Amino acid sequence: MNKICKFFLKLFGILFVVNAALFAVFFFDLDGKLLFNVVEPFLKKHYDNMDRKDTLKAPYEIDKFPKYDFNS
Amino acid sequence: MAKKSVSKALRDFWYGKPHTAEEGGRRLGELHEDKTHLYKHREWRGVADTMYYFYNIWLYNYIFMVKDIMVMHGPITFAKGLWRYRWVGQTYLPVLHWFDRGLEGMRGEAMKASAWHYRAMVSTTIRQFQRMFAADTRLHGGKQNELYKHTIAHNETVWGGVFYPWDGEITNVPLEMIPYFVTCHVNSHTVLNYIDAVQSIGLPGDPCPMCQAESGIFVLDDVPDYAPAVITCNEACDASVSTSTLQDWFFDKPLFSLPMPMLFDDPLVKKYVMREIEELWKFVEQQYGIPFSWEKLTKKLELQNELQRFEWEKWEVAAKSDYYPINGVAQALYRIYQTQYGDWEIWHVTDKKVRKILEKCVSKKINSFPQTRHRVIAWSCAPLYYSNWCTWAYNCWGLNVIINMDSLMFDMEIRTDSYEHTLEDMAQYHMWAPMRRMAVGGMHHMFELWDYMKRFNCDMVAMYDQLQCKGVQGLHGLFEDEFRKRDIKAFWIPHALPDSRTVSRAEIRRLINDYMSTVMHEEPLDPSLLDFDDSMTW
Repeated sequence: MNKICKFFLKLFGILFVVNAALFAVFFFDLDGKLLFNVVEPFLKKHYDNMDRKDTLKAPYEIDKFPKYDFNS
Repeated sequence: MAKKSVSKALRDFWYGKPHTAEEGGRRLGELHEDKTHLYKHREWRGVADTMYYFYNIWLYNYIFMVKDIMVMHGPITFAKGLWRYRWVGQTYLPVLHWFDRGLEGMRGEAMKASAWHYRAMVSTTIRQFQRMFAADTRLHGGKQNELYKHTIAHNETVWGGVFYPWDGEITNVPLEMIPYFVTCHVNSHTVLNYIDAVQSIGLPGDPCPMCQAESGIFVLDDVPDYAPAVITCNEACDASVSTSTLQDWFFDKPLFSLPMPMLFDDPLVKKYVMREIEELWKFVEQQYGIPFSWEKLTKKLELQNELQRFEWEKWEVAAKSDYYPINGVAQALYRIYQTQYGDWEIWHVTDKKVRKILEKCVSKKINSFPQTRHRVIAWSCAPLYYSNWCTWAYNCWGLNVIINMDSLMFDMEIRTDSYEHTLEDMAQYHMWAPMRRMAVGGMHHMFELWDYMKRFNCDMVAMYDQLQCKGVQGLHGLFEDEFRKRDIKAFWIPHALPDSRTVSRAEIRRLINDYMSTVMHEEPLDPSLLDFDDSMTW
């Protein structure tokens, strides 16, 4: 019985701490601060430095695909 | 004295601070950091509402976003897409802050019902970008997998309903809805990259910035290659015709153009559109080798009609009572998303939840917006980077946006009793597409405003003025004349659709503040919201 009580006390204790920690993240907008100050600048830097295809060099082949004529 | 302040502190803790300055109000403007507009701390809405927001909105949505990603093609697919495409990484990670902006100051049933609308939009967004990534040849070493072969790309103003005949066999994913349209609401910075990109190749900066952004995504090579064929549309404006041309060039795929006629409400034009839709169906059959199914089409249309019928019930409550629990931004975005994307399971799940809240509000006579001073109808196209202006306007001035033009565009059911009726109604639906019916649809539809104003019992108009839309520009003066003639209280909200640099959010607030103080001679409910700097915010 004691063991079961201890287990549940421990479980509730862990759940309480996790809950309190999550609430702190929520209430003090720590998720927003992390995303705004760390994640987004990091990703932006990555996207800015990405090699990208120069799409303007692609030929515009307007006759490449067959003409669709369903009226006939 | 001390006893009084302790009891007020306890009351504020339990119920949340009251709205207005006279009651020692909540001063929402002071919750934020300067410029970034991040919260110093999130709002305390009283014990019950704060806990609801924490568990049932914040935590629930983070958990279900992860769940959606796991169920819909998995985290690896998501990680690959995130690393490859700017519009997903830069935009969708701070999505809970989009909730915060839209739901700020909301309490009780309004907070709950509006949040369910947001949840549905998030889930549908994840569904679409995950499908794009799972089918994307760029993320799969150039391989065209089975998902690729069963996906069709289309312009975001082509209603998803035209693909109902292939439900379960071909998945339609709009080209611009997720990389462009939704991004502007969630993180207004992302789209600026695409607008600048298209101008950097020499295109002029004065056409509609929506068309610029939609082309810019291609110029920056930021579009997944997820489908063997594409359906484009002129979106009923000439700038969009150019977008389609650029898309044809850069996407380089078999393309069918589904036109939106500039002239409508004409039986001959309707016949023409009916024929175009049939041709589109033949195109899809030919490209994918899967036959058209009338049974699937009608089954899905019936489901969509169900959504429409509930929308009418919502409108009825909004129009005839003070018990409507959905705020202006949730109403507008959910409705335009749902009607444009077409039927999908999450809309039914959401409507079921919202119905419960709605019925509770009506039966218990719960006024979710008790500080309403004016019932506002918002007309024309809204600023995408500040769609939550109406949340601010309610909190600051008591301006409650009851309904908006975007919600009212598809005010119809689609008959399924015969092929001819169905096709006719589908053509009508297509012709009432966003920006078509009430933005560039001519005076008759623009001026439906007066009828809807009466129907929804509104006493004020928030008139959007998309500065770079040549179609609506021409009607500005006519509206001014009509407002004077009809003695209607109206204020203008100038904006450049997705581009927050042309008219800033602060400028929009300043214009409304000026109108409310100099014309209406009213005092703000929450003076801390009158003037603040959110120039760097998402």
